[in-house]
Amino acid sequence: VIADPLDLRFPADADEAVALLAEDPDGSRVLGGGTWVVPEMSRGVSRPRLIVDLRRAGLGGVRVAGDHLHIGATATYADLLGSDALARAVPLLRLVAQGITGGWAIRNQGTVGGSVAAARPQSDVPAALVASGAQAVVAGPSGRRSAPVATLFRAAMCSALEPGEVLVGFDVPIAPRWGAGYVKLKRGAGSWPIATAAALVDVDVDGRCTHATLVLGAVSATPLVVELHAVLVGERADPPALAAAAQRAAAALTDPWSDALAPGSYRAAVVGPIARRALQMAFDDIREAR
Amino acid sequence: MDAIACRSVSTSATIPPEERLVGQGIRKHDGDEYLTGRATFTGDIALPGMAHAAIVRSPHAHARIVDIDTTAAQARPAVVTVLTGAQAAQLTDEIPHSLDPAGLGGNHAVVRCLAVGKVVYAGEPVAAVVAQTPGDALAAAADVVVRYEPLPVVLDAEAALADDAPLLDESWGTNLIIGGEVGPDDFGAVAASAAHVLDGEVRGHRGNAAPIETRTHVADWDARAGRLTLHATTQNPHPLRSTLAASLRVPEQRIHVIAPRIGGSFGLKMYGNREDFLICLLAMRAGRPVKWVEDRASSLLPGTRDQILRYRVAFDDDGRLRALDVHAISNHGAASPGHGWGMAYVGALTTGAGYALDHCHVTYQVVATNKAPWGGTKPFGKDGATMVMERVIERVAQACGLDPAEVRRRNFVAPDAFPHVHASGMELDSGDYEGTLDLALERVGYDALREEQARLRGQGRHLGIGIGFELVPESADIPGALVAGFDTSTVRMNPSGQVTVLTGVTSPGSGNDTAISQMVAQELGVGMGDVAILQGDTERCPYGFGNISSRSIITGGSAAVLAARDVAAKLRTVAAAMLHTDAGEIVLRGGMAGVDGDAERQVPIAAVAHAVFTLGYLLALGIEPNLESTRTFRPANIRQIPDEQGRMQPYTTYPFAVHVSVAEVDVETGVVALRRHVVAHDCGTMINPRMVDGQVTGGSVMGISAALGEEFVYGDDGVPISDGFKTYLLARASDVPPIELEHQVTPSPVTLLGAKGVGEAGFAGAQAAVLNAVNDALAPLGVALEATPVSPPNVLAAILEAPR
Repeated sequence: VIADPLDLRFPADADEAVALLAEDPDGSRVLGGGTWVVPEMSRGVSRPRLIVDLRRAGLGGVRVAGDHLHIGATATYADLLGSDALARAVPLLRLVAQGITGGWAIRNQGTVGGSVAAARPQSDVPAALVASGAQAVVAGPSGRRSAPVATLFRAAMCSALEPGEVLVGFDVPIAPRWGAGYVKLKRGAGSWPIATAAALVDVDVDGRCTHATLVLGAVSATPLVVELHAVLVGERADPPALAAAAQRAAAALTDPWSDALAPGSYRAAVVGPIARRALQMAFDDIREAR
Repeated sequence: MDAIACRSVSTSATIPPEERLVGQGIRKHDGDEYLTGRATFTGDIALPGMAHAAIVRSPHAHARIVDIDTTAAQARPAVVTVLTGAQAAQLTDEIPHSLDPAGLGGNHAVVRCLAVGKVVYAGEPVAAVVAQTPGDALAAAADVVVRYEPLPVVLDAEAALADDAPLLDESWGTNLIIGGEVGPDDFGAVAASAAHVLDGEVRGHRGNAAPIETRTHVADWDARAGRLTLHATTQNPHPLRSTLAASLRVPEQRIHVIAPRIGGSFGLKMYGNREDFLICLLAMRAGRPVKWVEDRASSLLPGTRDQILRYRVAFDDDGRLRALDVHAISNHGAASPGHGWGMAYVGALTTGAGYALDHCHVTYQVVATNKAPWGGTKPFGKDGATMVMERVIERVAQACGLDPAEVRRRNFVAPDAFPHVHASGMELDSGDYEGTLDLALERVGYDALREEQARLRGQGRHLGIGIGFELVPESADIPGALVAGFDTSTVRMNPSGQVTVLTGVTSPGSGNDTAISQMVAQELGVGMGDVAILQGDTERCPYGFGNISSRSIITGGSAAVLAARDVAAKLRTVAAAMLHTDAGEIVLRGGMAGVDGDAERQVPIAAVAHAVFTLGYLLALGIEPNLESTRTFRPANIRQIPDEQGRMQPYTTYPFAVHVSVAEVDVETGVVALRRHVVAHDCGTMINPRMVDGQVTGGSVMGISAALGEEFVYGDDGVPISDGFKTYLLARASDVPPIELEHQVTPSPVTLLGAKGVGEAGFAGAQAAVLNAVNDALAPLGVALEATPVSPPNVLAAILEAPR
């Protein structure tokens, strides 16, 4: 039950959403799918006067736009799963969408933009989008801007969106066919992620690594990018190299996130193995693709 | 199996075996109403003029209430009434205790529907608001300003027993709610002659009942008639009515309690919750119907299983147990008038039961802390008792170099040793524990699994096999409390030949109503479709005790059988008059009354029923002309008078099961993946095997869920961190393997049809089996995990801390 009366508006496009928000920036909340905002209102944690619901703003769907893939802010996990273009061009995000639990009710409801705006450490999307090199498109009172998605995560539960700004979508570069790996550790099907690792790798004809991206999620307040070139590029994906990469990942986590489901010490202990498994999965993927 | 065959002849001469309804896995008789959304739950009830309640709860775990300002809330136009604890204390008397610890030498807690003067746990109700809509009520509740003066908080049970601990109730001079002991205190003497002694500790964690339907009440006060009607999610409508009368100062016969369909209870909805009284009081003040739907966070507050279990065990080289001494410290949270503390007592009674262990001594302490009070929760303390005993067996096996299955086999009470009096005084009616062990081991393929385990260990993988034996005393009778080993049912046939069963037992959704209908239909020779059953209405049903302690079939079901037999006898007498034969010749079957094998001499049962009411001076002279009987079934083996050692015999039946859980542990992350879970269960005669499967499966999943990760967590300040199903993790379907069931049938000699309770089956053995499986998996690493849950953080911490 939502205690307070509120105004619910459905803008027809992003500009109208921005105009609505301008009326009451502090008393408004933007709603993507509502899987986070609505429960917050039910618990009385959030008591907005105005809800700007983006679901009729034409910001959904996934489409190819030149050399990148555009994922609308209100694209749902089901949209990601249903996009052949995404499966071909950004298989990492398909892996992420496949691991979303809660059944179709959640996959049809939760949105990519909503997950970014909520900036919750314990969610899949932020780190995966960072790994995929996405640019966020943001509409605001002073027009549109584009920014690397990594810059949107200021702190836990705090995005870098300014009051009055709305996420329009994400441009994901259609990269060369990299090997993708995604490993998510949870405490059970009902659990939010405790640790995620998104890995993208490439190898040369000799099987030596030419590229390695690793972004850890759910283990720190914001997505954690692990620099691996020094330990992986030029190396074969053998156990010593992967162990070195895992060690790097563990060392990179200096301020692990603690929450109701797992202490920071646990996250610190598992991040290495999770990183190693994601990298292994990515190397296996590129080997099969070749 | 011979015993069952004999019983089938003796229990019903009216229907030949192939037509017996009892024993058939009939689907829920009203399943279509649930599936199509027509079943009425309390939340579906809307009365004309109904307003809505919201409760103001303490944000502090321990604090003095300095003052409460309701001005702003009352100023809201939608608000009907606002009530504070001080006001409620003027209008009501303290909540009667379900089981007063003071009666057994403990301390008496005075608890009212709203806190007065101080709060002793976060979430304690301090005020309440009634307003036009649920949203209005919530908004107004947020406007009630309560000023608190925080007090020191104590959350740990042992810390709460320290001399300098903050006291929850200063008048007690202690935080000990009650302490006591059961069994002979002779461990030292026996252990002196035993080959080995081990000691150890097992810790249970705080969990709760977590039904999908939270508690919901609709109270309606008729001021002109002075009558109160309460529609409530309650397991015990009649006892609730009795306690409401005592607290609300309304005569018991002017209170009508109705329990609509229930969406699960698991103990949460036993009578005597503060909201039971509060919502009625709000309706009496508001002068209009008031509805309250509990929010999820509040629903998760009542706790259970938060225990430290310390033990010493003496045993010989062959793994035979000589003596056990257990000290159980229960972190009860704040004192409560409810049944919760009884779980510690039942746990003490049950510890070691099922094993031939004459020297079993248990001391228990129930300690008040600044957590929310325990609430009675399935399986009511038998969980901790099972867990400590099953860890003891594993450790004895390890110490003796024996297989843990073999150690259980050597120590079980033998099948020919019943009735068997356990050290606590419980008289086990019947059993064949080894039989269920054999069934479970065979089903799981125990020997092959041990070989696979060895092979996987060679590959650096960690597979574990855990056994859990549960013995679950059921159908309790507690002297002086509204918890009885008997219950009452009425069977009534109308002139159309249709039957209505009115019973004092209730169904939490588990399906005992279907099973009771089967039992009655069989006795009367009519179809299931001709039997309607009414439960949970104090104006229509006989006084009864509802659903607790897996008692409904044994008590209410058996009472319905007795009543149906009375009606059947009358039908036979009248049919005999119609067919010019003797009543002894008449068989009731397939809706007909007639002479067996004589197609000419048959008459519809409906015609016989009609004749009773319309030709009473012609055909029904041999009977009192009604087709109605009310009977009570009271099993004979309850003993309320203590024996020379002060022991009572408080339970009717002792169903049991052996669980085998197979788990693989990821030692890098601590993640436990259950591969298989087998249960060999025995609840005596199964009235409806489909419902039995449902109960055992559900209970096992609940126990697995508790073992794996269901944990209610508090912050250091005593404020709950767990507030919903994202922070209190119930296992989902994909977390649990299919529960593989085997059944053994050892009929109870003390119940009417040989049935034993099944409503609490599964939990205790499953939880213990999972804990044992994880320990078995990690044994090569030297890991001993003596606490639940075996969540990834806990498992990994144990691995990292293990001596290498």
